[in-house]
Amino acid sequence: MYDYIIIGTGPSGGNIAHNLYKAGANILVLEAGKLMTKKTFPRTEADTSAMLYWGGGIEFDAQAKMGFLRTRVVGGTSIVNQCLLDRFDDIAFNDWTAESGVQWFSQAELAPYYDKVENKLSLHTFTPDDMNRNAQLFTKSCDKLGVKTGFLRKGQNDCAHERDNDCMACLGGCHRDSKQSSYAGYLRDDIAEGLNLKTETEVLKIENNGDTVTLHALEKGKQVTFQAKNIVLAGGAFGTTKMLLQSGFKKQLPALGKNFSSHPQWMSFGLFDEEINAYKGYFQTVASKDPNLRTKGYKLENVFAPPISAAMLFSRTGTYHQEIMRNYTRMTCIEVAVRDENAGEIKVDNKGKLSVDKPFTDQDRKRRDSGRELISEILTNEGAKKIYASSFAVGLHLMGGSVIGTDSKRSVVDPEFRVHGYSNMFVADSSIYPNAPGINPSLTIMALAQKLSDQLIGTTHDIKVSEQLGA
Amino acid sequence: MTSKYLSNSALKSVNRIGDMMIPKNGEFPAFSEVGGIAFIDELVSYAPADDIKDLNLLLTILAFMPNFVLRWLLGKMENSMESNGPGASLFRMLDVGLRGLIFSCYYTEKIPASYQGKKPLDIIGFDLTRVED
Repeated sequence: MYDYIIIGTGPSGGNIAHNLYKAGANILVLEAGKLMTKKTFPRTEADTSAMLYWGGGIEFDAQAKMGFLRTRVVGGTSIVNQCLLDRFDDIAFNDWTAESGVQWFSQAELAPYYDKVENKLSLHTFTPDDMNRNAQLFTKSCDKLGVKTGFLRKGQNDCAHERDNDCMACLGGCHRDSKQSSYAGYLRDDIAEGLNLKTETEVLKIENNGDTVTLHALEKGKQVTFQAKNIVLAGGAFGTTKMLLQSGFKKQLPALGKNFSSHPQWMSFGLFDEEINAYKGYFQTVASKDPNLRTKGYKLENVFAPPISAAMLFSRTGTYHQEIMRNYTRMTCIEVAVRDENAGEIKVDNKGKLSVDKPFTDQDRKRRDSGRELISEILTNEGAKKIYASSFAVGLHLMGGSVIGTDSKRSVVDPEFRVHGYSNMFVADSSIYPNAPGINPSLTIMALAQKLSDQLIGTTHDIKVSEQLGA
Repeated sequence: MTSKYLSNSALKSVNRIGDMMIPKNGEFPAFSEVGGIAFIDELVSYAPADDIKDLNLLLTILAFMPNFVLRWLLGKMENSMESNGPGASLFRMLDVGLRGLIFSCYYTEKIPASYQGKKPLDIIGFDLTRVED
């Protein structure tokens, strides 16, 4: 009988598994994906899509107007994202408190947990020397137009920038273990020491028996069951919510599946005469950091896409497509990331398949259009000869579905991270986000996971309290 | 070539649709000329079994359609993002699914040795530097 089973190894599960393991708990960690390392991460863009994502690539909302990228690998989303780590501001926390009734959402209350995560990981705030031509043109144009920009902070320790390493390669997993994924930052050494991790194990059903929890799962295609005194669900918005839905918890928890948001992003490309090579070096170093845009509900990110993804963003094919792709190295790119309303809902159909309703509200569309207009202005001001705006929205930040709150009719998880009505089932991943913060969610997921870790280590008698963690 | 997941007719469809999406044009070789389809099983194998089955059925049916039907289909797919009419979501899914498959077999480092021309990634100037210690 395990003290804890942790389901999922992304920013939440990785942190909690590490902390409980170090505290001496008897734990089992389950992960639906494979364990990949810097030696075995895919080396091509096509293999990345196929090997690291659920469904072998992109997943859609019910209307197929939006694509979601959801990883299935040890480390979860943190393996493929840019590991941009920002604390939330008062705007985000105040909105969370208003929506959830949870009073400890504030910068001050969460500061100790942010501190612990930031002290554990290696962080780098970009400098002017790190900027590639795409970033230079973006900031210069924003300066002229009075749009404030700022350098991003990334979890990394040795990206070999001085040897011309291109960080776009690490979108398929960092081949240097530089990126501070939950694997590199938390789990790698624990796994080497003997952390009890079962990979390629997908939990299908949760049975709560009061004092214990039984999990029914498929381990490499074979049906298995596990028992624990407590479980921590850390499968993210889709994974955690799906497990609860298909286990029948919707009857007791009417809010289960609701309040889904995803920071939808639309990319626009500007064509130049000069070579830009936006995919080179650190390809994402700056973003808008403008209070006006924060108030308007969107931010601008200076990004780029590898060839297959770029090709996908332009809906046309044939010679038109080839003309665009011929100019791949002469393009800059900016995307608008909208702080969307939490109007989405995650469902499971009668075949057990995930189904996501993600309607864009009038406010979402207004924010998108406002952002695109500004992008068009910035790109024109940069000197772009032509602008290609993609109409396809991508959701990379999957949030909500099992939201936190004080009211069990309007939320799924209570302020102590317990599923309402169950003292031994915990959630502290992105599924508990009450609404979209408009800020990269990773660091706060880890801070919340740290808060839950400290809570569990401090209150569970079966675990030797680690002095190192200060519990 | 043969595939573990797709019928010969389905593979023929991929090449036909691929050549419509990416015809031979100046420096750009036609989709089928490059031969990246040889690695299609490596991509398809990670998709859910039901999705592979549906894809195989669809592509097999399309193999028997004349070119004008395929061109009509591509047109519907291309315009589907702006459309809200009946079936639009199906065309959108088809659009992303087929383009994803075809672009993945074209803009790739995995090109059969039998192809001697300039690779699409070289044509667009994509040359990723991966410093590994």
